[in-house]
Amino acid sequence: MTRRQSWAGWGAGVATAMMLVLGSAQAQEANPNATIRIGSLYEPQNLDNTAGAGQGISEAFNGNVYEGLFQLLDDGSVQPRLAEDYSVSEDGLTYTIKLKSNVTFHSGDPLTAADVKHSIERVTAETSKSSRKNSLANIESIEAPDDATVVIHLKSRSISLPYNLTYVWIVNDAAADLTSAADGTGPYKLDSWRRGSSISLVPNENYWGEKPKNGGVTYTYFTEATALNNALLTNAVDIITSVQSPDSLAQFKDNPSFTVSEGASTTKEVLAFNDRVEPFSNTKVRKAITRAINREQLLNSIWGEYGTLIGSFVPPTDPWYVDLNDVDAYDVESAKQLLAEAGFADGFSFTLDTPNYDPHPIVAQFVQNELAKVGIKVNINIITANEWYTKIYQARDFEATLQEHVNHRDIVFYGNPNFYWGYNNQQVVDLIAGAEASATEEEQVEKLKEANRIIAEDAASTWLYLYPQIVVSSASVSGYPVNGLNSQFFAYDIVKRGQ
Amino acid sequence: MTDVLETTPPARRTSRSLTLSVGLVLVGLHVFAAILTLIWTPYEPTAMTGGRLEAPSLAHWAGTDRLGRDLFTQIMIGSRIALFVGAGAVAIASLIGVTLGVLAAFATRTLDDALAATFDILIAFPTLLLAMLVVAATDSASLFSAILALGIAISAIVARLTRILAKRVLAMDYITAARTAGSSWASIVFRHVLPNIWPTLSVNFALQFGIAIIAEASLSYLGLGAPPPNSSWGRLLQEAQGTVYTAPFGAVAPGLALVSLVIGMNLLADGLRDIGDPTRRGRR
Repeated sequence: MTRRQSWAGWGAGVATAMMLVLGSAQAQEANPNATIRIGSLYEPQNLDNTAGAGQGISEAFNGNVYEGLFQLLDDGSVQPRLAEDYSVSEDGLTYTIKLKSNVTFHSGDPLTAADVKHSIERVTAETSKSSRKNSLANIESIEAPDDATVVIHLKSRSISLPYNLTYVWIVNDAAADLTSAADGTGPYKLDSWRRGSSISLVPNENYWGEKPKNGGVTYTYFTEATALNNALLTNAVDIITSVQSPDSLAQFKDNPSFTVSEGASTTKEVLAFNDRVEPFSNTKVRKAITRAINREQLLNSIWGEYGTLIGSFVPPTDPWYVDLNDVDAYDVESAKQLLAEAGFADGFSFTLDTPNYDPHPIVAQFVQNELAKVGIKVNINIITANEWYTKIYQARDFEATLQEHVNHRDIVFYGNPNFYWGYNNQQVVDLIAGAEASATEEEQVEKLKEANRIIAEDAASTWLYLYPQIVVSSASVSGYPVNGLNSQFFAYDIVKRGQ
Repeated sequence: MTDVLETTPPARRTSRSLTLSVGLVLVGLHVFAAILTLIWTPYEPTAMTGGRLEAPSLAHWAGTDRLGRDLFTQIMIGSRIALFVGAGAVAIASLIGVTLGVLAAFATRTLDDALAATFDILIAFPTLLLAMLVVAATDSASLFSAILALGIAISAIVARLTRILAKRVLAMDYITAARTAGSSWASIVFRHVLPNIWPTLSVNFALQFGIAIIAEASLSYLGLGAPPPNSSWGRLLQEAQGTVYTAPFGAVAPGLALVSLVIGMNLLADGLRDIGDPTRRGRR
């Protein structure tokens, strides 16, 4: 380490001297042809976000290969993207959206209203595995009166329709297979996908908007955070999209060759119960478990000085955030009392299905320790990400699990009694549905704050902590998003100096 | 006893080899630690008694992990898990391997060829890969699925060796004599074959023991071994991996434990072989 650094310093000194001699700052200029190499831990399972591809596909494709009618920008605002303009009827039930003209897919087909209709219907289709499917369930019908106009009829008002459309990729309706190929309208097109290794994107020469500021992007996938950090240290990648442990930051923090940025995260570490089954169907049991876990100590164990405690599923960047940490604050005595009231004075035992990647196994052990103190025995069952998807998300065959939930504005999951955790409170369902039907944003925020309070009071799940969002890059690149909302990682503004 | 291959006179065993002593000491330390954990550990294994990633100190000899648990305690328990898995895997491997190996040696030509080919195919599979397949086939990973998986994976190696050794013994004149005298095959196996191949087999068992320990650590490293909070060295290594730059001792300590036990086992195997092999001892 030390020797490497001193060599780097020596090299920089020589480079500076040479630059002085040559009187040129060429090495400092942005290179429009540079390929940006992004290192990530989230290789998608496939290339289709309606087929259970995972967060990695949003990271690689949202806004880069595929665009939506609207786009969620890194600051959390929603802007029209492929929509030129839109209007809403008086009753809020009809959205008329004008499409941008001269937009073509990578395959050369022009973008038409029929493609948009097809794309939205893919997400709402029976077979779709999109986690956001439910948010679009109130679309009654979609019409395409002409090639440039889309009319969406809703069953009820939906104030967040533009937001919900930000994660609907507009795909070519002629494309046959989107799980291993892509045909979007974005500034990049898919060059190749080497399974288990990388996805590379090249600029789309016929892009309708502003061209990318770089010569292409390669997402290289790692299965292990240390390998990823080493790749950045040895200049095999330029950017790490999210740093997984505070300990790896030590290598980058005080080193001028790297830039460390801390943004706002929406990733929540959740201890999710199967609220349908005994004993988790009992609110007192869930509250007792929440109170029995010292989340502050847990966060400190995992993230050191980083990260935030949240008392519910809503992160501070969502407009309906309320500080609910005190609802079920850490209190072992009251946890025991609640358990006794629920009829479990002698405790009980349950199996915690734990994904095999960091930080879940260590979090599981912490939870196991804490719950042992109130008489609850936790059996840790380690499973793969794939098993999590089939066993828990699809088959709901579990008692409790750990998972990181990455989405922005995802409190709506608690308004869906069919979601994997099976939380079913009619009041929350009504409030979340009612918030959607709001005429104004204030009304929406008010209702969601109320829903937020209720899910916290019900301890629908135990929200352990909010991850920090830390992006580390080589000092030669800039222009990347730091908040990573909805796992997006727009690559088109990234510039790299030098090679 | 018809001890034909074993020709060592008892008097010469007094010159114990250095490798054997070192091996015995290393393995003995681990066995001692393992037995000790049954009655005493420095701390409760799951108790969060220290700060996050503390460096080694008098209070925590090997420092603490991210949750503040004492690493020395976990490494001691790791010895127990490693020895238990090693012994279990070797026991299963010897049971399956010796049975099949002897069977192949006695079998008709066709069956013998079929068994021999099966052993070769199984050996061609990396031990770890085979063990992973067995773990994947069982419902969920546990200490016992790991032992079973490793036992099965190693049994092919034992079987092949047993088959070759047994065949060599079966070609001896005294076996023909025993057969002619009307000894049953069971009596031939237990009175002639096994006692004669035992010294060589035991050396191999010690070697396989070391391999099983490494394989268990690898399985645990991959999350396919004993589930937490069983503090297998492989899992300790995996957990320390993310913090290797800020708390390197967390990775070094379980690594040292693993290496010392495996080296100890190998030295022990070497020492046993030296005792059993007069030509080697003669050269010293």
